[in-house]
Amino acid sequence: MINVIQKALYTRSIKSTNMARQESRAAYLFLIPAFLGLAFITYLPLASVFGLSLFKWNALTPPVFNGFNNYISLFTKDPYFLDSIKATVYFSVIAVVGSLVYSLAVAMLLNRRIPARGFWRAVFYVPYVLPGAAVYMGWSFLYETNFGLFNYVLSQLGIHKVLFLSDSSNVVPSLALISVWLSGNLIVIFLAGLQNVPRVYMEAAEIDGANAWHRFIHVTLPCMSPIILYNILMSLVTNMQIVVPALTLTNGGPGNSSMFMTYLMYRYAFQSNQLGYACAISFVFFVLIAIFTIILFATSKTWTFYEGGDDRK
Amino acid sequence: MNNIRSKTRNKQIVDILSLTAIVILAFVALLPIWWIFRSSLMSNAEIYKFPPPFFPQNWRFSNYGKALEYFKFWQYLKNTTIIIVPSVIAGTLTATLCGYSFARLRFRGKKFIFSLCVGSMFLPSMVTLIPLYTMWTRGLGLGNTYWPLVLPYFCGGGAFSIFLLRQFIMSVPRELDEAAKIDGAGYMRILVQIIVPAIRPAMIVVALILFIGLWNDLLQQMVYINKPEKYTIAVGLTIFRGAYKSDWSNLMAATCMTFAPGVILYLIGQKYFIEGIVMTGMKN
Repeated sequence: MINVIQKALYTRSIKSTNMARQESRAAYLFLIPAFLGLAFITYLPLASVFGLSLFKWNALTPPVFNGFNNYISLFTKDPYFLDSIKATVYFSVIAVVGSLVYSLAVAMLLNRRIPARGFWRAVFYVPYVLPGAAVYMGWSFLYETNFGLFNYVLSQLGIHKVLFLSDSSNVVPSLALISVWLSGNLIVIFLAGLQNVPRVYMEAAEIDGANAWHRFIHVTLPCMSPIILYNILMSLVTNMQIVVPALTLTNGGPGNSSMFMTYLMYRYAFQSNQLGYACAISFVFFVLIAIFTIILFATSKTWTFYEGGDDRK
Repeated sequence: MNNIRSKTRNKQIVDILSLTAIVILAFVALLPIWWIFRSSLMSNAEIYKFPPPFFPQNWRFSNYGKALEYFKFWQYLKNTTIIIVPSVIAGTLTATLCGYSFARLRFRGKKFIFSLCVGSMFLPSMVTLIPLYTMWTRGLGLGNTYWPLVLPYFCGGGAFSIFLLRQFIMSVPRELDEAAKIDGAGYMRILVQIIVPAIRPAMIVVALILFIGLWNDLLQQMVYINKPEKYTIAVGLTIFRGAYKSDWSNLMAATCMTFAPGVILYLIGQKYFIEGIVMTGMKN
C-alpha cells in the first residue's frame, strides 16, 4: 500500500517537473525576441558606445585606442560641447516645466463640469498626432519675422518685432513653446488622474473651510504626485533627446544656441565621420540622463504620496 | 440657506469661467494648425499681405498640385507605410509574447531578465545609435535599406510595450488559463485563445504608441536612408524645405499633406488613442 502511494507520488513529481520544464521552455521560446533585443539592440550597443568612445575612429581607417582623450577634448577644447549641454538642459527645463504647468492647468479646467468634455480633450490632443518634422516646419512660418502670426499679434499689442528663431537668446524658449504645445498626451493622463482623486477628500477639505487654492495644494497635488512623477519622467526623457528642430530648422544656430547634444552627436558622427568622438558625446548624454532620472526617483520618495501607505513604492 | 444658494451660484460662475477659458485655450491650441492650413491655400502675395487675412480670399487647392511636383508625397507615404506597418505589427505581436511570459510563466532567471527589460525602458535611442549604425551598415551591409528601421521592432517592440502588456495580462483572471490548461491547451493556444481576446484593447494601444514613435522619428530615418526614392515623409519634407526655404505657400501645402494621415487615423481611432494614453499613465 505504502509502496503504491510512494510510486504515485513519485510519478506525480516527475510529471510536475516535466510540466515545469515545459513551462520554462515555452517561456524562453516566447522571450527569444526580447533576448535578441536586449542583447543586440540595447546592452551590447550600450557597452560598445562606451568602448568606442575610447577610440579615435574616422570610419575609414581602423580605430586607434585613445584612452580618455575624447572626453578630455570634449570638456576642454571642443567649441560646441559645453554649449550643447547648456542648450539641452536649458531647453529641457523650460519644456518640462512649461508642459507640466500647461497640461495640468488644462486638465484641471477640463475636470470641471464642462459640456462636451471629450470633444475639448480631443482638441488639445491633436498636435500630438502630427509628425514632428512637419510641426516644426509649420511653426517656423508662424515664427516668421515679417509675416508670421506671432509678430502680427505682438504688433497689435504694440510690441516690437521679435526674432524668434534667429536670435540666440530667443531660439530655445521659442522651440520649447512648441514642445509645450505638443504635450497633449500629458493633458489626457492628468485628466484621468484628476478623475481618480477621491471625492471624499475634496468634500472633507471643503467642510473644513479650505478654499480652492488650499484644496489644490493639500488634496489635488498629493493625490496626483505619482502621476506627476511619471509625466515629469516621460517629458524629461523626450525633451532631453530634442533633435528634430535642429535638423529641420536651425542647424544648431544661431551661434551655438540650439546645438542640442543629440544634434551635435549627429554632426560629428554622420557629417564629419568622427565616430569615436561622437560616441563620447552619446555616453556623456547617457550619464546625464541617468543622473537626472536617479535624482528624480531618489527625491520622489519625499514628495510622492501613494494612497494606502508604503506598500506600493 | 442663503449661504448655500450663493455657493451654488459661485460654482456656476466658476463653471462658466472655466468653459470660457477652455474655449479660448482650445482656439489658441488649434490656431497654429489653422494658420498653416489657410496659408497652404494662399498665393505668396496674399501671405505677405498686411494685416494678414484670417481666411484665404479664394481657396487655391492648386497649391497642393504645385507642391506635389517636387514633393513626392505619395511616394514618401508609401515608403513610410512600408516601414510602419511591419514594425507596428511585429512589435505588438512580439511584445505580447514577451509580456505573456513575464506575466504568467515560471522560469529560471525571470526576475533578472525582467529587470534588464525595465532597466532599458528609459534608455534614449540616441545613446546606442552609433554602434547600431555600425552594426547595420558595416556589419550586416544593410545601409540604405529599411531593415535597420524595421528589424528592431521584431525584438519585442521595446521595453515599454512589453511592460504595458505584462501589466494587462496580469489583470486577466488566472482561472481562465488554468481551466484551459486542464483541458489540455498548450501555452500558445492559451495565449491566442484566452489572453489575446482579453487584452485586445491594450494591444491596439501598444500598436498606436509604436505608430506615434515611428511617425515622429526623423533622426534614425535620416541616418539610414540617403536615396531620394527611399525617403520617408519626414525626410522628404526636411529636404523639401532645404530647397524651397522661402516659398511659404508651397511649403505649407507640403506640411499640410503630411498632417493629413495622422489626423485621419486619429479621427478614426480617437477612442483608442485617448484611452491608450490614459492606460499608460495609470498602469505605471
